[in-house]
Amino acid sequence: MNQFGFYFDQTRCTGCSACRVACKDWYDIPAGPENWMRIEYTEKGKCPDLFVGYLAAPCWHCEDPLCAAACPVGAIHKREEDGIVVVDRDRCVGNTACDEKCRKACPYNAPQFGPEPGAKMGKCNLCLDRIQAGKKPICVDACPVRALDAGPLDTLEKQYGQTRTAVGFTYAKRVKPAVVFKPKPSSP
Amino acid sequence: MPQSSAADQNIRIVRATSAFDCGGRCPLRLHVKDNVIVRIEGDDAEEPDQLRTCLRCRAYRQYIHHPERLMYPQKRVGRRGEGKFERISWDEALDTLANQLKRVKKIYGNGAILLMTGGSYLASLHRGGAAAQRLLNLFGGYVTHYGNISSEGAVWASLTQYGSVMVGHSREDMLNSRLILLWGWDPARMISGTNTMYHLIRAKENGARVIAIDPRYHDTAATVADQWVPIRPGTDTAVMAAMANVMIREKLHDQAFLDRYTVGFDRFKAYVLGDEDGIEKTPGWAAAISDVPADTIVRLAREYANTRPAALMDCQGPARSAMGEQYNRCAATLCAMTGNVGRPGGSAGGGLMGIPVAHMFRSPAIPAGKNPFELEGPKVKGTLDIRERVIKRIHINTLFDAILKGKKGGYPSDIRMAWSMCNNYLNQTGNSNKAAKALQNLEFFATQELFMTPQARYADILLPVTSTAERSDLMRPWPSGPYFMFSNRALEPLGECKDDLEIATELAARLDIKDFETHSEEEWLRRLYEKSTDLKHHIRDFDRFRQEGIHRIELETPVVAFRKQIEDPENHPFDTPSGKIEIYSQRVADIVEGLCPPIPKYLPTSEDRNDPLSRNYPLQLITPHPRNRVHSEMYKVEWLRETEPHRVWINPVDATPRGIKDGDEVHVFNERGTIAIAAWVTERIIPGVVSVFEGAWYHPDENGIDRGGCCNTLTRDAYSGGGAAVLNTSLVEVRKGERS
Repeated sequence: MNQFGFYFDQTRCTGCSACRVACKDWYDIPAGPENWMRIEYTEKGKCPDLFVGYLAAPCWHCEDPLCAAACPVGAIHKREEDGIVVVDRDRCVGNTACDEKCRKACPYNAPQFGPEPGAKMGKCNLCLDRIQAGKKPICVDACPVRALDAGPLDTLEKQYGQTRTAVGFTYAKRVKPAVVFKPKPSSP
Repeated sequence: MPQSSAADQNIRIVRATSAFDCGGRCPLRLHVKDNVIVRIEGDDAEEPDQLRTCLRCRAYRQYIHHPERLMYPQKRVGRRGEGKFERISWDEALDTLANQLKRVKKIYGNGAILLMTGGSYLASLHRGGAAAQRLLNLFGGYVTHYGNISSEGAVWASLTQYGSVMVGHSREDMLNSRLILLWGWDPARMISGTNTMYHLIRAKENGARVIAIDPRYHDTAATVADQWVPIRPGTDTAVMAAMANVMIREKLHDQAFLDRYTVGFDRFKAYVLGDEDGIEKTPGWAAAISDVPADTIVRLAREYANTRPAALMDCQGPARSAMGEQYNRCAATLCAMTGNVGRPGGSAGGGLMGIPVAHMFRSPAIPAGKNPFELEGPKVKGTLDIRERVIKRIHINTLFDAILKGKKGGYPSDIRMAWSMCNNYLNQTGNSNKAAKALQNLEFFATQELFMTPQARYADILLPVTSTAERSDLMRPWPSGPYFMFSNRALEPLGECKDDLEIATELAARLDIKDFETHSEEEWLRRLYEKSTDLKHHIRDFDRFRQEGIHRIELETPVVAFRKQIEDPENHPFDTPSGKIEIYSQRVADIVEGLCPPIPKYLPTSEDRNDPLSRNYPLQLITPHPRNRVHSEMYKVEWLRETEPHRVWINPVDATPRGIKDGDEVHVFNERGTIAIAAWVTERIIPGVVSVFEGAWYHPDENGIDRGGCCNTLTRDAYSGGGAAVLNTSLVEVRKGERS
């Protein structure tokens, strides 16, 4: 399998949310709790010696996705060819029926639900439709400061290195998220 | 689920852009199906040339197709300002407006007609109130406003110092800088030209050291700054003067540069050394004013003077304050003292950042003609005497005071009716409560709008206008580039919307105006192209240009402001009376009463931190640009709203004694008004200062508390000696709200 994943340059991210809005536009997701791409915020220190960092948080398409294992109806699967973790929304029974087992299993909060009871799970699919059309995911193309990239993980590692940590992110060895980082030095 | 896919043959891709007053101008590929934009992609140029749009136009379709867009003409049926309207026909709406224009002209004269135009649509053909100006000029004239609410201080400063407003470098030139001072500049939010933040990041990665001097640790600082120097609002000029003092005392300044290219440095030096007024502008003096420690000022001065080239990037926010012009003037003076003007990797200061290639200011427009009401007024082009500008016009930040007071208040006329488009000044100029009162004073108020804005609520007649997506137009970036854009019409007009040009054309017939030229949009655009010298020079094939939506201008080297004036001063004097950079301006000195000093100076003002009023209102309020809307435009767009709640920034030092916890609802208030807003308790703002992003919609409740959190409920409707709108010089107090 040729595992696909993300690269995130935390030193460049201004926390602007262009990636998050572009994702909502591309997949036509209303404003509300369902956010396939999120921005996580860290603030440390005291004026004037501060650290502020942002973390783009999509689905990291883990090598061993706990969400898939947790789903009671097998609606989530990891694709053989590229390792992208996808959900079959026709098969998903909705969050009231299963109590959001996938979301609770995921260390990264990637499975997302709309506000309505029984909402079906939605999450980042690494823009499979775009990748198949030879494009980058919409979040990558949308980033005004070019802080994101995506593609085969081994290619990303060659280009950007193998750093697996960033501020606000813990690499879970058990599940092996498919991401490499340029982390932001965290001491103010 | 996606509404479109690559396989969907019914989708058209339309190359367009938006016309917001946002600081960017970004190629958009709109996916259109059945007259609906279903998806958006950005520029598809090869990297590194992609001009990437920000989050706002990523949410563009939710703005264009927002359910609250005004879709048909309406007339007021409730009390004015109550927001009760009834649908009417276009004929009734246009007849009413035409009849009011005739009535007011007949009874009171043309000076009683106020035209309110603004920057919410920046392009050529459909720009602002161009069509309305043309119409009213042919109708005998009107009174209107002067000045730009954003940038007037920087404009005055640049005209004084350089005789030019083109003080910017190509953003790519930051890669040549070894040191960049972000002095009141936050391009991560206010954009400052598409890709500006990206180039700043690349400059940082290229080894430039970056220092942010600002009351806030904003997102630009958080991303690129090696050091944050927190500073009190309104005190920038004091710190700059003290830096000059250190440079002079330690002989770090570039005397050869000053001798060759400037006039009046000696006068500035006399001020800085205390020879003029007996007060030496030492780091200790500035520290007491600004809360920037003296040793920090010393280090800043040495570092800036000893690192070449260095770019001191001032902007317009700190200039939107009492004596705000002095900040841009003093920044430009430091740029000269360090020999950084006209040099790659340096900067000229001045805060405007425009480059003279394909600049928006040079956009072609439909000819407005001359305003008969202003014919007897003074010639104001290029004048630094602000009093001349307000003989026949009203300063934009006193617009509503003028409606209330008229000639008795020293304004050019007694206003009886107003016709408004492309603005939401009630919300976006100082003192919104006063503005709301003033609009009650009008006999008639007609507004062209896309949404029921706080100002539109006060209209008697509401005319729904088309969005940028429903028009074709010629566009230019502001203030970077260089490139030209053609924004193609993506949609047929939604609902019953008409464009402003169409409205003016239909009014012309009702007002019996024969010479109001009537052309189709297509004919107009070709005419504008034909008469635009720079468009014609760069673009030979108009049809290809419109098809591609953009024409990028290749530059051999990045634009550096005043490069010719520095490299070849004999043949390229500055456009000032002396032909040099005017640190001392005789033109300013000649203005009787001295509204501004002829050299840049720090001057105390009302509602600065030492005003006795601070006993009651001890906190300084600043009102920076928001990220998730364009001023007050896009305020309703949910995809944007959810990215950041509207909050007042407050340091724990100020929050704790007031019993305010993060997330509490608080009231921010002064004698002008009260806003209710959530508190964000953060170390990212200097103690003693609170920050509310501008543009949230004014929404007073039955007790007069502004539940929308519009910052201008708290700001002043005043302007500084050079015309800067005084919006960042307000004292306030904060207390816990009743809902926390």
